Amino acid sequence: MTETQISIQNLNVTYNGNRALKNISVEIPKKQITAIIGPSGCGKSTMLKCMNRLIDMTDNVTFSGKIIIDNEDVFDKKTDIINIRKKLGLLAQKPTPLPMSIYENVAFGPRIHGVKKKPVLDETVQRCLTITGLWEEVKDRLNSPASQLSIGQQQRLCLARGLAVEPEIILCDEPTSALDPVSSQHIEQQLLKLKKDYTIVIVTHNIHQAMRLADYVIHLYLGELVEHGPANDVFENPKEERTRAYINGTMLSDLKIDKEVDLKGNICPYNFVLAKQALHELSKGNVLKLVVDDPLAVTEVPRGMEADGHKIMSVKQINKTDWEIVIQKKE
Amino acid sequence: MNTRRLKDVLSSRLMLAAAVFACLLLFFMVAGLFFRASPILLTVPISDLLFSIEWSPFEGKFGFYPFIMGTLWVTVLATVIAIPVSLLSSIYLSEYASNGLREMVMPLVDLLAGIPSVVYGLFGVLAVVPFINDTLAPAMGAETIGGYSILAGGIVLSIMVFPIIISVTGEVMRSVSGELREVSLSLGATKWQTIKHVVLRKARPGIIAAIVLGFSRAFGETMAVLMVVGNVAKVPSSIFDPAYPLPALIANTYGEMMSIDLYDSAILLAALILLLVVLICNVIARMILVRIERGII
Repeated sequence: MTETQISIQNLNVTYNGNRALKNISVEIPKKQITAIIGPSGCGKSTMLKCMNRLIDMTDNVTFSGKIIIDNEDVFDKKTDIINIRKKLGLLAQKPTPLPMSIYENVAFGPRIHGVKKKPVLDETVQRCLTITGLWEEVKDRLNSPASQLSIGQQQRLCLARGLAVEPEIILCDEPTSALDPVSSQHIEQQLLKLKKDYTIVIVTHNIHQAMRLADYVIHLYLGELVEHGPANDVFENPKEERTRAYINGTMLSDLKIDKEVDLKGNICPYNFVLAKQALHELSKGNVLKLVVDDPLAVTEVPRGMEADGHKIMSVKQINKTDWEIVIQKKE
Repeated sequence: MNTRRLKDVLSSRLMLAAAVFACLLLFFMVAGLFFRASPILLTVPISDLLFSIEWSPFEGKFGFYPFIMGTLWVTVLATVIAIPVSLLSSIYLSEYASNGLREMVMPLVDLLAGIPSVVYGLFGVLAVVPFINDTLAPAMGAETIGGYSILAGGIVLSIMVFPIIISVTGEVMRSVSGELREVSLSLGATKWQTIKHVVLRKARPGIIAAIVLGFSRAFGETMAVLMVVGNVAKVPSSIFDPAYPLPALIANTYGEMMSIDLYDSAILLAALILLLVVLICNVIARMILVRIERGII
């Protein structure tokens, strides 16, 4: 295996008493693209936020474990978090230009780190905008507000802004989910180019995107690390049934649902029993969709069904309180 | 038509009438004030009214300049004192304080807005005026009339303006998205750099609106100012001078010297000026805030 850039050891995160990440230990390789995949709410974004300690911004959160970047533990109180964040560029889900001009957006990072000389800033702005392919499009209107750019351009500006502080690592949190297909492709191409100089960690629930980009894959499921390894191994030949289910489940674009059961208002273990009954009435290969609102059911029902030999195709949060579990009957 | 329907129609009409009445009230007030102020507007040129320093109603001289300047001095001073204090405290409350602390302190700040202004006035007479007379003015080598001064008015007024600026700026700053803060922090900015360059920048229009709202509150405040500001109809030249703001003039003299020709008209003109200034300030501030709410700014 190649050199390790980020080493995560026994990472645990708890939000309001709910465990968002459970005992995660994984190493992220240097100068490769690592994709963190998994359904919504499985802790992918939380994992990113731990790496640059933006998790501090969240209320009622506790975390333990170690994240080692360049021999420094991110969670150690003695670590200068400003320095860590400088090493980790962030490309957020929603393009978020700062409320200033295009030029100032890119110059913001170097400026807050004390670069004052105009020629140096000019050079940085041009270099970073060129890398992200934006220079030709905006060089005549560097002083107009960044909010006037198209959404796709804004996201490339955000990438350029991140590069301007000369990070070693770029963290991307579903960077294309708010973009149109053409802009998404643009961003993906940039990332592929950038991996020769940077370590890239991308959170995505688009399995195709992970396949296109990733050299290394980490599969999280409800806060647990299910599987990790080189992309080819994981995608071609997953060791874990849940990884196979996730890859297949999200690949089925039009999932045919044979039966739908609303289990809202039911608590464990009744929702499990009811789900079992519903499944019993179906024939082999049929697909059952459950809607639950009991947080315990979200983890326990799929686990129990899997133990019974059924196949979990997807688990996703559909609104604030409700989750959707899709199960295929096997036995 | 049965009674049920009749009741339905009647109640909706009644509510419509009440709503229309409430809206028309403002219009009637402006129109009424203008109508009653028109005699003086017709006889004395408007420039004399606004810029003449001579206030001798017995001779028919109605120069509002000393009163307008008195109002402006007190209001601007109050705003200048209030801005840093309330801005810093609202930055602390919305960016640094824990949720629990904020939920405890914000109602206290709002309570400050509910205290009757005469109580502030008393506090001014009993605490601020003696402090200026005994300590501050001698220390600065300034003369005052027993401590009754623009400074006293400004201090008392600024306390009355705090809650408005604190709660409006706090709201505007909390409406700045967390993503924007995360972006700045992730670039390695410190918390203070993030607040200074990103949060305050994004919240700037809202903060201006908050200040304008505070200004208009101070501009029209009568009781507390009247009790501590000295009420001398002279153009002030320092913050230790007394002043005679427009609201104090109206409250003190309306109904007293009504036999004098045009006096009634002059005082109502003062009221009209006051009303219009406060109205315009409020409209501007509300417009900014509505635009922020809709996400235009």
